[in-house]
Amino acid sequence: MKVFLKLIWFFKLRKKEYLIGLSMLGLVAILNLIPPKVIGYVIDEIGNGELTTQSLAKWVGIIIVVAILIYIMRYYWRRMIFGSSTYLAKLLREKLFHHFTKMSPSFYQQRRVGDLMAHATNDISAVQQTAGGGVLTLFDSVTTGGFVILAMAITIDWRLTLIALIPMPLMAISTSYYGKLLHSRFREAQAAFSDLNDKTQESISGIKVIKTFGQQDEDTADFTRLSNDVVDKNMKVAKIDSLFDPTISLVIGFSFMLSLGFGAKFIYEGSMSIGDLVAFNTYLGLLVWPMLAFGMLFNIMERGSASYDRIEQLLEVPVEIDDKENALDSKPNGDIGFKIDDFKFPGDQASALHSVHFTLKRGETLGIVGKTGSGKTTILKLLLREFEGYNGEIRFGNHTIDDYKKQRLREAIGYVPQDHFLFSTTVFENIAFNNPQENREEVEQIAKIAHIHDDILRFTNGYETIVGERGVSLSGGQKQRISIARALMMKPELLILDDSLSAVDAKTEEAILKSLKEAREDSTTIITSHRLSAIEHAHLIIVMDDGTIVEQGTHEELMALQGKYFEMYQLQQLERLVEKGGEEIE
Amino acid sequence: MNNKSAFSSKEQTQILFRLLSYLKPHKKAVLLALFLLMLTVIGDVTGPYLIKIFLDDHVATNNFEFEAIILLAVSYFIIQILNVIISYFQLVKFQEIALKIIQQLRIDVFSKIHQLGMRYFDETPAGSIVSRATNDTEAIKELFVSVLSSFIQAAFLIVGVYIAMFLLNPMLALYALVLLPLIFLVIYLYRKFSSVVFLTMREKLSQLNAKLAESLSGMGIIQTFRQEQRISEDFDKINDEHYAAMMNNIKLNSLLLRPVIDLIFFTAIVLILTYFGMASFNTAIEVGVVYVFITYINRFFEPINNVMERLAFYQQAIVAASRVFALLDNEDIEPKQEEREQVISSGLIEFKNVTFSYDGKANVLKNISFTVKPGETVALVGHTGSGKSSIINLLMRFYEFGDGDILIDGKSIKSYRKKELRNKLGLVLQDPFLFYGTIESNIRLFNSSLTKEQVIAAAEFVQADKFIEQLPSKYDQRVSERGSTFSSGQRQLVAFARTIATNPKILVLDEATASIDTETEVAIQSSLEKMRKGRTTIAIAHRLSTIQDAELILVLHQGEIVERGTHQELLAQNGLYHKMYLLQNGIVE
Repeated sequence: MKVFLKLIWFFKLRKKEYLIGLSMLGLVAILNLIPPKVIGYVIDEIGNGELTTQSLAKWVGIIIVVAILIYIMRYYWRRMIFGSSTYLAKLLREKLFHHFTKMSPSFYQQRRVGDLMAHATNDISAVQQTAGGGVLTLFDSVTTGGFVILAMAITIDWRLTLIALIPMPLMAISTSYYGKLLHSRFREAQAAFSDLNDKTQESISGIKVIKTFGQQDEDTADFTRLSNDVVDKNMKVAKIDSLFDPTISLVIGFSFMLSLGFGAKFIYEGSMSIGDLVAFNTYLGLLVWPMLAFGMLFNIMERGSASYDRIEQLLEVPVEIDDKENALDSKPNGDIGFKIDDFKFPGDQASALHSVHFTLKRGETLGIVGKTGSGKTTILKLLLREFEGYNGEIRFGNHTIDDYKKQRLREAIGYVPQDHFLFSTTVFENIAFNNPQENREEVEQIAKIAHIHDDILRFTNGYETIVGERGVSLSGGQKQRISIARALMMKPELLILDDSLSAVDAKTEEAILKSLKEAREDSTTIITSHRLSAIEHAHLIIVMDDGTIVEQGTHEELMALQGKYFEMYQLQQLERLVEKGGEEIE
Repeated sequence: MNNKSAFSSKEQTQILFRLLSYLKPHKKAVLLALFLLMLTVIGDVTGPYLIKIFLDDHVATNNFEFEAIILLAVSYFIIQILNVIISYFQLVKFQEIALKIIQQLRIDVFSKIHQLGMRYFDETPAGSIVSRATNDTEAIKELFVSVLSSFIQAAFLIVGVYIAMFLLNPMLALYALVLLPLIFLVIYLYRKFSSVVFLTMREKLSQLNAKLAESLSGMGIIQTFRQEQRISEDFDKINDEHYAAMMNNIKLNSLLLRPVIDLIFFTAIVLILTYFGMASFNTAIEVGVVYVFITYINRFFEPINNVMERLAFYQQAIVAASRVFALLDNEDIEPKQEEREQVISSGLIEFKNVTFSYDGKANVLKNISFTVKPGETVALVGHTGSGKSSIINLLMRFYEFGDGDILIDGKSIKSYRKKELRNKLGLVLQDPFLFYGTIESNIRLFNSSLTKEQVIAAAEFVQADKFIEQLPSKYDQRVSERGSTFSSGQRQLVAFARTIATNPKILVLDEATASIDTETEVAIQSSLEKMRKGRTTIAIAHRLSTIQDAELILVLHQGEIVERGTHQELLAQNGLYHKMYLLQNGIVE
C-alpha cells in the first residue's frame, strides 16, 4: 500500500480522471449484479407460468440497457485509468530525461547506459502497472467482491451466501501460495535463460577459436545441454502455472455443489425459488475474478514499489557542478592561465594532474603530447569544467572559469572529443548541431574548412544522408572531420581538438590545420595528439608524462633539447616511412 | 535489414505454417494433449447437464429421492475431480510441447550460426545474432505456450458447447450460431485496426528507446554544445507521440476487446431468454434447460476472452519468427570442403598466385605465392592492413578465395576433410579467447578423448604449468567471462596449451606475442620455440625480434609481397624490413 501513498501526488494531479474512472468501475460492478437477478426472475416466471410478452420485453429490455451502459462505462474507465497510468509513465520518463541532461560526466562514468535505460523502461513500466492495473485490481476486487456478496446475502439468502463462501478463501490462499512458488521458480527459469544468453554471446565472440578447433558440434551439444536446463526450469514454472486454472475450477465447483445442495434444501423448505438459485450461481461466477485479483495484487504492488524507489533515487542525485551565485553572464575571452597544483578524480587515490602550469595567449595554439594516460585529456576536462575540486586555478580572460555561468563558458569552447560521437540524423544536422536552423551556405563553408565537404557530396543523399548508429557507416576519419565541423559551427573562442585527427592521413591533417589557421586567426586552439606533425607548428608545446609537464617550448626548442620530444619525433618520422612502404620521402 | 514489421497475410500464413511444421516430431504428444483437452471439454459440458437434471427432475418437481440425488452428486463430484486432474496434465503437456519446440528452434539457430562463414560475423553485430537465438525464440514461445493452446482450447470448447446445445435444443443452438460470425467480425475488426495502431506504437517505442539510448551515450556532446534544451524538447515530442499511440491502443482495446465481447455475451443471454420466454407461451419449458444454456454460454465466452487477450502476442511472434527464419535461411555459409579421404603427413604449404578480396571489389591479397617446407617457419611482417591476417584467414578456411590455390602436401586445401584440417592446423590468435569454465576445460575445450595427464602434459610443454600450479585450485581454477582475471600472458599460455594438446602438424601464429606483458614474455618466447620444433609454422609477428630465426620472412605491403628472405638477407637489402627493424629497436640514425 506504501506505493500508493508515494504516488498520491499523481492521483491528485489526475483527480478528475481517477474519480470518473473509479466511479464508473463501481457502477459497472453494481450494474453487473442486475442480469443474474433478471435471469432468476425470468426463470421463476417461466416456471410458474407467469411470463407474459410484456414482462419478457421488460426483462430483456433491462438486460439490453444494462449491457449498453456497461459497455460505455467500461470503455471510459479503461480510458481513464489505463490512460492515466500511461500518462504517469510519460511524466516520469520526461522527468528522468530532463534530469539526465543535467548530470555531469562523473554521473555517467559511474553508471552504465544499459542500467539507466533499464530504469527508464522496466522500472517505469512497473510503476505504470501499479498506477493502472494495481489501482484497478484493488478497487475492483473490493467493490465487485463486496457488492456481489452483499447482493447474494441481501437479495437472495444470507445463509446460503455464507455456506457458498466457505471454499472461497482457499482460492485466495492457494493462488497467493502458487504466486510465491512461481516467483522463485520463475527467477530460476530467468537465470537459466540468461545462462543460455551468455553462452550464445560467448560462442559468437569466440567463434574463431571454435572454428579453429573444429568444435562446432561439441559446442552445439553444450548449447543443447544448457537449453535442456532452460526447458527443465520452465517446466517447473509450467507445473505451478498450470495449477491456477484447475484450482479455481475446483474451488468454484465446491462452491457450486454446496450452494446447489443447500439451495435445493431451501427450495424444498419453500424459502427460495429456483430462479433465485440460478441467480445465486451466476453471482458465484462473478466472484472468481475478485478472488484471483487479490492474489495478484500483492505482486504488482511489490514490484511497483521497488521500481518507484529506484526511480526516485536517480532523481535525487544532485546536480554536481552548478553556477556560482552572481555568476558572470558573459562569454569569456582572452588569455588562458592554467595553474593546477594537484587534482584527483573523485574517488581516486592517485593524483591525475600535479604541477601543471602554462599560459596561452589569445589567438595562439597549444600542443599537448604524451602517452595514453599521461593526463592530456584531464587538462581538457578541467578546462571544460567537467570536474572540479582541484588545488589551483584556471583563468579564462580576467576571471577564473567558475566565475562564469557554465552555459556561457561552454559557449566559448568548441570541443572535438576523442571518440567522435555522431547522432542518428542527417550530416547537416550533425554539423549544425548547435543550431539546426543554420543556413546551408554557412554549413558548407564550415565543412570545407574541416575538409569533409567533398566526402559529403559523394554520399548518396549528400548533406541529407543519415549517419550514426542507424545510418550509413562512415570511416573514422570522416567521423572525426564531421565532429570538427560541428565544433567549428559554434565559432568558438577556444577550439579544442582532443586527438581528433588520429584517423585522417597525414596530408589531410596538414590541409585541415592550414585552413583552420586561416579561418581562425584571432582564436585560441588547443590540440592534443599522438602524432607530432599535428602540433609541430604550435606556439607552445607541452610534453606530458605521468600527470605533469616534463618538457615545454616550441618545436625548435624542444628538438634542440634532444629529450623525450626529440626521441618521439625521430621514431614517428620512421614510422611514416614504413607506412608508405619504405620509399624515401622528401 | 530485419526491421520490417508489417507482413502481408500471405507472408504471415507462410511463417505460421513453417512454425507449425515444428509440431511434427511431437505428433504423439500433441495427439495426447488434444485427447486430454477433449476429455476436459466433455467434462466441462456434462457438469452443467447434471445440474440441469438435478434442477428439472428433483428441485422443480420437489422430488427429493435420496439415492438418485446422491448418485448425481457423486458423479458431479467425480467429474469435477477428474476434470481438474486431466486439465492440469493437459495444460502441462501443452507447455512441454511448446518448450521442446522452442528448444529445437534454438538448437537449429545455434547450429546454423556455426555453419555461417566469418563474413556473416563481420557484417552482423554480435548482439543481434544473440537476440535471434534467445529473445526472438522466446517471443515465439508465447505463440506456442499461450496463443496456440488458447486458440485450440477455445475451438474445442466452442465445438463441445455447440454439440451439447444441439443435443438439448437444436433450434436454439442454430440461433446461437449467429454469435460466431459476430465474434469473428470483432476479431477481424480488431486485427485490422490493431495492426496499424500496434505498428505505430512499436515504432514510437523503438524511437523512444533509440532516442534515450543515443542521448545518454552522447550526453557529453549535448552538454558541451549546450543543446540540453533542444534535445529535451525532441525527446518530449517523441514521448508525447508515444503517449498518443499508447492512448490509441487503449481506446481500441477498450472498444473492441473485453467490453465488446461482454456485450455479445449479453446479446446471447437476451437471445436465450427471449427464445425460452416465447416458447414458454406455447409449451412447458424445463427451467433446468434455461439454466444449462446460460451456463454453457458463460463457458463459451471464457476461452474467447482468452483468445482476444492473446491476439497481440501473435503479431509479435510472427515478427520474431520472420527474423529467426531469415537467419536460418541465410546462405552466407562457411567454405565447403570436398571431404576427400587424405591425410596431412608432412606439412608442406604452398600458396600459388592467391588473390583475394573481402568485398569483391578491393583486393587485399594480390597474386601471393610462397612455399613453406615441412618443419620450417615462415614469418609474415608488414604494417596494419598489409594483408598478413588475410593470408592466415585463407589458410584457416575462414573465407573462401577465388583465384589461385593453396596446397598442403601437394593437394588443394579445398579437397581435405574439414576434420583433417582442424586436427592438423593449430591456430593461436592474437587475442587469446578464454571461455567460461576452468583452466582444464579451456585447455581441453570439448575434446573428451584427452586424459587429464595429456592436459597437464600440454600445459607443461608450453610452460603454463608454473603459473597454473600456483593457482589455489590449479587446473580446476574457475575462469570467469573472457578470462578477465588472468593476465594476457597467462591467457596466451593457456591458449598455447590448448593448441599443443591437439598436436597439430602445422602451427599458425597470429601475432601471438602482440599483447603480452613483459613478465611472461620470456616464458612465452621459449614456449613458442619449443612448439615450433618439428612443425611447419606460419607466424605473423609484430616484434621482429621474435622471428629472426625464421627460414623465410615475407614483407607485405598493400597485399603484395615486397621483400622476401632471411633476417640477415633482408637487413642487407636496406629496404622496408630494415626500416621496420630500426623503428622497433628505437635506433635513430
